[in-house]
Amino acid sequence: MPDAVSVRSLTRTFGDFVAVDRVSFDVAEGEIFGFLGPNGAGKTTTIKMLTGLLRPTDGQAIVAGHDVAREVAVVKRNLGYMSQQFSLYADLTVEENIRLFGGLYGVTGARLTARRDWILEMAGLSHHRTRVTGELSLGWKQRLALGCAVLHEPPILFLDEPTSGVDPVSRRNFWDLIYEFAEAGTTVFVSTHYMEEAEYCHRLALMNRARLIALDRPDRLREAVQEPLLELRTDNRARAVEALREHPVVLEAAMFGQAVHLLVRDRDRAMDEVPRVLRSAGLACEALEMIPPSLEDVFVALVRREGGAPVG
Amino acid sequence: MSLTRLLAISRKELLQLRRDARSLYLAFILPLVLLVLFGYAISFDIRSIRMAVLDQSRTPESRELIESFAGSGYFSVVEHLETPAEADRALGSSAVRLVLIVPPTFAADLASGRGAVVQALLDGADANSATIAQNYAEAIVSGYSTRAVARGRRVTLPVTAESRVWYNETLESRNMIVPGLIAVIMSIIAAMLTALTIAREWERGTMEQLAATPVHRLEIVIGKLVPYVAIGLFDVALALLVGVVLFGVPFRGNLLLLGLLSLLFLIGSLGLGIFISAAVKSQVLATQVAMLATFLPALLLSGFIFTLATMPIVLQGLSYVVSARYYVAVTKGILLKGVGASVLWEDALAMVVFAVAGLAMAIGVFRKELA
Amino acid sequence: MTLPSPMRIREMVRKEFRQLFRDPRTRAVIFVAPVIQLLMFGYAVNTDIRSTATFLIDHDRTLESRELVDAFRATGYFEVVKRSERPLDLVRALDHGDALVGIEIPKGFARDLAAGGTSIQLILDGAESNSATVAQGYAQRIVQRFALERARQRGALPSGGIELRTRAWYNPNLESRVYNVPAVVGVIIMLMCLLLTSLAVVREREFGTLDQLVVSPLTHQELMLSKTLPVAVVGVIDLTAIALIAVFWFDIPIRGFPPTLFLAALLYILSGLAVGLLISTISRTQQEAFMSMFLFLQPAIILSGFFYPIESMPTVFRWVTLLNPVRHFLEIIRAVFLKGEGLATLWPQYVALAVIAVAVLRLAVARFPKSIAA
Repeated sequence: MPDAVSVRSLTRTFGDFVAVDRVSFDVAEGEIFGFLGPNGAGKTTTIKMLTGLLRPTDGQAIVAGHDVAREVAVVKRNLGYMSQQFSLYADLTVEENIRLFGGLYGVTGARLTARRDWILEMAGLSHHRTRVTGELSLGWKQRLALGCAVLHEPPILFLDEPTSGVDPVSRRNFWDLIYEFAEAGTTVFVSTHYMEEAEYCHRLALMNRARLIALDRPDRLREAVQEPLLELRTDNRARAVEALREHPVVLEAAMFGQAVHLLVRDRDRAMDEVPRVLRSAGLACEALEMIPPSLEDVFVALVRREGGAPVG
Repeated sequence: MSLTRLLAISRKELLQLRRDARSLYLAFILPLVLLVLFGYAISFDIRSIRMAVLDQSRTPESRELIESFAGSGYFSVVEHLETPAEADRALGSSAVRLVLIVPPTFAADLASGRGAVVQALLDGADANSATIAQNYAEAIVSGYSTRAVARGRRVTLPVTAESRVWYNETLESRNMIVPGLIAVIMSIIAAMLTALTIAREWERGTMEQLAATPVHRLEIVIGKLVPYVAIGLFDVALALLVGVVLFGVPFRGNLLLLGLLSLLFLIGSLGLGIFISAAVKSQVLATQVAMLATFLPALLLSGFIFTLATMPIVLQGLSYVVSARYYVAVTKGILLKGVGASVLWEDALAMVVFAVAGLAMAIGVFRKELA
Repeated sequence: MTLPSPMRIREMVRKEFRQLFRDPRTRAVIFVAPVIQLLMFGYAVNTDIRSTATFLIDHDRTLESRELVDAFRATGYFEVVKRSERPLDLVRALDHGDALVGIEIPKGFARDLAAGGTSIQLILDGAESNSATVAQGYAQRIVQRFALERARQRGALPSGGIELRTRAWYNPNLESRVYNVPAVVGVIIMLMCLLLTSLAVVREREFGTLDQLVVSPLTHQELMLSKTLPVAVVGVIDLTAIALIAVFWFDIPIRGFPPTLFLAALLYILSGLAVGLLISTISRTQQEAFMSMFLFLQPAIILSGFFYPIESMPTVFRWVTLLNPVRHFLEIIRAVFLKGEGLATLWPQYVALAVIAVAVLRLAVARFPKSIAA
């Protein structure tokens, strides 16, 4: 079975600035492929190159079996795209927007009627079909944008941070829809900076500073962090991080929610040393235990291994 | 190219336009406002020029001379001055445009046959009005002079000039302005409406969404052109109707030819508008550039009101790349002169070049972003 | 009412200046566009009649007919660009617009002139009605002088008569540029004020940053003040720059006292800012603001006396022009530049400008908070 997306040494520079640096990966059909990384890591630039919105400086991208550089028209027919910001026409009504994109994708007649009804139903906009889009709430707008992106039932769907700014419940509903598409055989290529969303993906690509630093299933990525991870609860997290950061046993200390996460060289030594360091700094050690790494921990660890701090 | 996609773009453009009251106003009401203003409010026809008189002669002859100014219909005497110093104030405050000074020796000089001199001080600030006033004054004085020296004898001048004015027999500014105004209105439509159309899509991010669809740049450009061309042609018809029916501007040529050439002009101007809009990608800048690149040249360098022949050579040269120049020649030619393709073919050819160039630029500018 | 806070205004004004000057293209719009407009208008708005393209048909070809033609040429108003024997060529030249005036001298002109009665034909292209009117006046004068001289030579007319000596004050060579360039300065300044003020507010509304400002302690007065202050500064700079170009490049004499002009400019800029603010209160998008501006400016220019004398307008329109700030400013700037007038004669225009500025400003201030809440 051919890959839905196949990328080889894709590179894009803007003047001296390298936005995407020799990125290569493949996405299988029907896969939910996550693109993870801080702002400015090169996610959006990569998606723009895959959707034909931006020409690569170097390298090759095959989408739906066609070279984006050479057969951009065919590629565009086979993909749906939803950008970071809401970008349907705010001064058209819900129905008029659907009809416009129907016309652009060549979906007309009975099929358009069927697809329109499906979108209105899916987005919960059946009662607001004649409202001007600009007046809708952000959650509705986003579902309408998703509807317009899949109007022509494309085999591949590109979503660039589709849920930014949306409340958690809407976000959850949005992901239910993404699962439905994937089960129906659509390949979903989604970028996000919400770590909990990344867990929903079949596979994850981590980007930092224009480079792809890891690519695997979420569980395997976790296993890739071999150093033990400890969670510390203390009365002053900031001072605790400060006190522990320079200690030889601690590789990385970072505040994480209500706790402090410590990546350490040796679990037993750390369990001994950490409470002592805290005591001498006048801090309480309320709890210290080993935990499985979250994706964020993985990300921090991988960036450290690459020898640099994440951008953003 | 797909007709479905093209129509989808055109339809969208029309829907957006329909919701945009101000663009509608610009497209349909402004042309009427301009026609009414140009047709009724303004005119270069100078009548009853305000003048003052300083009569130092105070004789029947001097009164007769002044009377012939007032009786001509071109001047109205609004002030009688007592001292030469008052002339300064009268002209300076723009109370009058001309001061006629008749010297104390006027009657005696005239009677003696030595020849009398009268002086006209003109407010030269407005050179155009002053020139016209000067010509009228000269004609009046010369007429009176001939009568005065002949002393009742009938004097026929050995040669006279019979003027015949072609195309606009009564020399009404309105007849000259309405045809040119059509070109200016078309340029406003082209510049103002299309300058925003692409820049707005870039600023709001909708262009990116369009770019991700299979739509071809040719379809975007033509899809966007269609509604504006329709509006433009409607406005030409409206202007003609108002001009011919209401203002009595003659229409002597071929309507079909005018329609065809208007279409060419619109395609070229709209193409340029779209090019500007897509090239600068910002509404504020696009409107500025469009004003400088289309509307101002159409107003100034088209021969609409200001004669090209009297401009500096640089501007005359520049006017050859202003498509409105050719279109004004066409509208004046067809409406007033009643000439056809045999005379206008050069202008038509130039407009074909502009239309092709405009379209090519509009389509070319998307090369980077779109298929 | 709380007093405006200098600190907040200072920060806002600083921000406005940064936004205005950061983008090199916007800088170009602010400082280069007015200069281009002045140059274009300064040269193009020209109603002088010089070297009018003239088509000559001389059927007589005698010394007398040549003398008449020379009389036309000597004035500099007419230039024979083509000559022919066939009237059809004249038709073609006028149809093409190659000539504006045709002179046709009949066969037997010299003989009939000596006998005391002939006429020549003057054909004018009425499609250029303005030039045609002026050219007609000149041509009639030339022929009349020629005729009078001949009549005197033959003794058909006693000597003497009246000579009219005309002197054009303020503009001795009657160049239309002298009159038009100061007016162009006025129109350009209005354009800048309207554009920058209305877009400054509306752009923030469109981008959503206006809400951010409204929830800050910034008051409406401070907001309006900080939006208009930078534009006023830019307006004064632009005015100075293009007025200098008018004086030094176009050789427009400035006979009045420059501070008089500055006072008028301040009132005028204030009225422009007020109209700009008013437009911003009725516009949600930049596009709407721009269209509104254009819809105001077009009639304002036509009814300002810029190219078309106000005294030739019908009464109704003459009354309407009194509401037009552009009209009053053009009267001031022309009188100060060309006639050296001052407040003593121009005070009615100053009062009118001040009244208009204050009235529109009050309207804009009253509408502003409502338009923000909307």
